[in-house]
This record gives sequence, structure tokens and C-alpha cells, in this order.
Amino acid sequence: MLSIVKRILGQIKNDKRSLGLLLFAPLLVLTLLYFILGNSNYVPQIATYDMSEKFTTELQEKAGVIELNEKPAEKNYLEENGIDALIWKDSEGIHIELLEKNSKSATALKAIQDTNKVLQPSQSELLIDYVYETADDNQLDSLSYVFLGVISFFFVFILSGMSFVRERFGQTLERMLMTPISRMDIIGGYTFGYGLLSALQSVVIILFSVYVLHLHVEGSVSLCILVMILMAFSAVSVGALVSIFANNELQMVQFIPVVLIPQIFFSGLIPIDTIPFGLGNLCYFTPIYYGCTSLEMIMIQGKGFMEIWPWLVGSVLFIGVLFFVNVMALKKYRRL
Amino acid sequence: MKIEVNQVDKSFKKQRVLNQINLTIHSGRIFCLLGASGSGKTTLLRIMMGAIRSENGTVTIGGTKVPNRQLLAEMGYMPQNEALYEELSVWENLKFFAGLHKLNRKTFEKNAEELLQVVDMLQDKTKLVRDCSGGMKKRISLAVALIHHPQLLLLDEPTVGVDPVLRRRIWEYLKQLKLSGVTILVTTHVMDEVTQCDDAALLRNGHIIAKDTVENLTGMTPNGNIEELFFMDDQSEMEEATC
Repeated sequence: MLSIVKRILGQIKNDKRSLGLLLFAPLLVLTLLYFILGNSNYVPQIATYDMSEKFTTELQEKAGVIELNEKPAEKNYLEENGIDALIWKDSEGIHIELLEKNSKSATALKAIQDTNKVLQPSQSELLIDYVYETADDNQLDSLSYVFLGVISFFFVFILSGMSFVRERFGQTLERMLMTPISRMDIIGGYTFGYGLLSALQSVVIILFSVYVLHLHVEGSVSLCILVMILMAFSAVSVGALVSIFANNELQMVQFIPVVLIPQIFFSGLIPIDTIPFGLGNLCYFTPIYYGCTSLEMIMIQGKGFMEIWPWLVGSVLFIGVLFFVNVMALKKYRRL
Repeated sequence: MKIEVNQVDKSFKKQRVLNQINLTIHSGRIFCLLGASGSGKTTLLRIMMGAIRSENGTVTIGGTKVPNRQLLAEMGYMPQNEALYEELSVWENLKFFAGLHKLNRKTFEKNAEELLQVVDMLQDKTKLVRDCSGGMKKRISLAVALIHHPQLLLLDEPTVGVDPVLRRRIWEYLKQLKLSGVTILVTTHVMDEVTQCDDAALLRNGHIIAKDTVENLTGMTPNGNIEELFFMDDQSEMEEATC
């Protein structure tokens, strides 16, 4: 088993591209997400017609304002003029027209609501508070556990699965199996070899997220690393298992959406209890569920080991079952 | 190590690729399995190693029924593809397979130096396999098969893509191994290679059409060309069919 672990580490040392894919590609994706989903300084463009001077002046503090002398008749006025919202008043009341439901429209709407709030201070204000997050947390903070889990799982799954497919088609697996090594040692060596690399990846991702991107982590950083490592080990096992059903590297790529996309649904992106027909129960068959739920509890809810241990046990059981299945699956190539 | 193949059949997707194969390969001999591509040579080799299961029949090696994991420690296998790790150096590849055979460091280094000398790769031992030519990879693959000094050597098309000078050196080395008691089974579709062996079996469409010592097989043909046996058999079958 140790020979296989050493060989995998030696191979990756001489394969800078795979090492880069494993260590730096997740950081690049996370950095992109940080800029895309983090707090943006976008100033919405709002057109007003027949609004009070007081309102317009106050709105100018929060948005770019274009005052119109007549209400535009064209339907595509907003789109053609790069305007996010049009607000006007008539006998029915105040109307707001937005282009579509997106983050720019949401920013424009917020600017209008804030202006309204300033102008009508007597209106009783709704004070919103969250048990586990603050109102200042951005989208990335709220979904960080999903991104960390899914991105890490994805890269490890690809690397280990592809490597196993190459072992089979390059006949190195057959050659290995024609030595007295046991099937358990092969799967163990593979899991630990890629698991160690993935553990390194997990440490790098978490430290980068916390100390460079300043993602909000309420609980223990080291517990996050432990969860990520367990998730990486399960990704290696899933990669090895799926590779058995792939007849070539292209087929391995075709398996990615089948294996990965359903798991993303159970990562916490959609609340599981809102998934109809009891389909949410499928989450127990996906390793990402155990990992992402643990990460959510640590990063968002600040929970400790005593609260997350059932999910850690779930992850460990998953790795154990996959290990056994992979050892049995190798029987296809050697009966003993 | 004596190999005995008894009544072995094998089919893939209802197509029979080996039919009632019976073979005896005596210890300390070089045995050649000769046949065109697709004749079933590699399948028979893999059944002998225990990599795949035959539908009927048995294979025993040194009296032990295949598959047997302990037997694998005595076997050296060189597949048709190079089956090497491209991102590792020549030396690292040898070291990895030596590790699977649990060779200690001293034995590994001694064996590796000796084998790299034979395959003329000693000066390139630190080179990454991905930077080696096809012929070099073939030589490294042979060295890997021999790293643990096996008692039974199974070589699937071992000298394809190897230059004539080196091919001669490899055959000389295999003959030396034979003298030390190693049993060697070689598959090939190159007729010239057969003359280097002691015994041969001719395989066509999953049937053994002739098996004997190479000397006797050569004597069966008018021109001393074993290749003619394939055609002679064709003719006799045609005659039988006509009758």
C-alpha cells in the first residue's frame, strides 16, 4: 500500500499541471466567486417621472437618477438606455418598473426603499435579525459552505477518477494486479495517496478562504479542515468507483454531470425539507450532503464537534462502504 | 515451473475465442505461442495468469491451480502495451514494481542495475518515461517484468518495436534465464522469433493447430518455414470440406 502512496505522490510531483489543478484551480474559482458574489459597489441607474423634488434629491444619494419630463411610452426604454428601474406617480399610486429579477434590479429596489424610509421616518421600521448570520453577510458568506464543499469535491473527483481510468487503459492496473499485492492494498493505496493530496488541498482552500478572502467562519477553522479532508477522501472513493463504469476518459467526463449535479442539490443550496415527494431523503446517499451540512454547522452556526459528529460518522461510513465496494469491483480484473 | 492447460474454453459476447485448449509447457523452456492478431494469444496468456476466468477447463502452474496469489510472486508479466507510469522516471517505475514484490532496497538496486544494463537503459535511468521513445518504453517494460527475478516469465509480444541489435541481446538474456531454470512463455506474430524458442504452439481462431518442439515443427514443412503450417492446415481443412 505504501508503494502505491509513494508512487502517486511521485507522479504528481512530476505532473505540475495536475498539481496546479488540484491546488490552485479551486483557489481561482473561489476568488472569482468572491468578486462575483461579494459586496459590490454597483450604483443603480433609476429614471424618475413626476416624483417630488425631495424624493429625487434623496434618491440621488443612493443611485444615479435621470429625471424625465414625460413618461416613456416604449416598452424597451429601460433596456435600451441602460436603466435599472423607472419610478413614476399617478392617480393609482407610485409605480416601479424593473427590467428583470436580478441583482441589479434588487440594488435599485433597495435604493428606492431606503429613500422612502428616510422620507417617512414615522413609518414603523421592520428590524430584521438572523440567528446565525448578520444582515451584512453577503451571498458568498451565506453559501460559502456549499462552494467550498462542491469545488473541493469536484476537483478531487476528476483527478482521482481520471487517474484510475488511465491505470486501467494503460494496463498498469493489470500489471499491478499480476503481482502478489491484494486488492485491498490497491484501493487503500489509491485512497490514501490521493487522499493525502486532497488533504493538502483542503488545508490550502480553507486557509485561503479564511485569511485571504476573509470568509465568515463562526466556528473552528481546524474542524472545517477535518470535514474537508473527509469529504476529499469520499471524493477519491467516488472517483474510483465511477471510473469502473467508464470505458474511457471521455466517458468519465460524461459521468460528471450525472454524479455531481444531483449532489449539488443536496449540498444545502436548496433547503432539503422543501424538496417534494420525499426526494430530499436521497441526500443520505450523497457524500456532499454530509460534508456540506457539517461545514454549514461550523461556518454559519458556529457549532462544535459534539454537534456535528453524526455527520462526521456519516462521512466516515460512506468512505468505508465505498472502499469495500471498490475492493469488490476490482474482482472484475483479478479474481483473487 | 511447469504449466498445464487442460480443456480451456473462452468466449466474449457469445463469440468463442479459445476452443478446447490443451497445452503443456515444461519447466526451464522457452515456449512460443504463435498466431495472427486476434487469434486468442493474449486471452490464453491472461487465463494462465488468472487475470480472466475461462468457461471450462483448468490451468495449473507448478502443480498449483490458477488463480493463486502466491503464484503471482513467481511470475513476471510484460503486457502488450508498455504499462508504465509516464510521470515517473525509469528508475522510479522499477522501484515501484519492486516494492509490490516486496524487494528490499539492496536487492532492488542490484537487480535494477543489471536489468537496465541488459536493456541498454542504464544511462537513461533518471529520464521520465514520457520522454522516452516507443522502443525505450518496450525495454523498460521488459526490465519491470524481470525486476523480481521471476521463475515464470510471460511476455506478450516483447520485442515489437525493438531494434535488431537490442532484440538479439534481449533473446540472449532470455536464454541465460532459461539456463538458470526460468520458464518463459512468449506470444508473437513474428515468425523469426519462433526460431529462438524451444517449443511452440500455433494458434488460429482459438484453436491450436500444431504444437511441438520448434525443430519438429520446422521439419514438418517442406521449406523449413513454420509459417507454412498455417497454410498447410488451411488446405487440409479445405480438402476435408470438399470430401
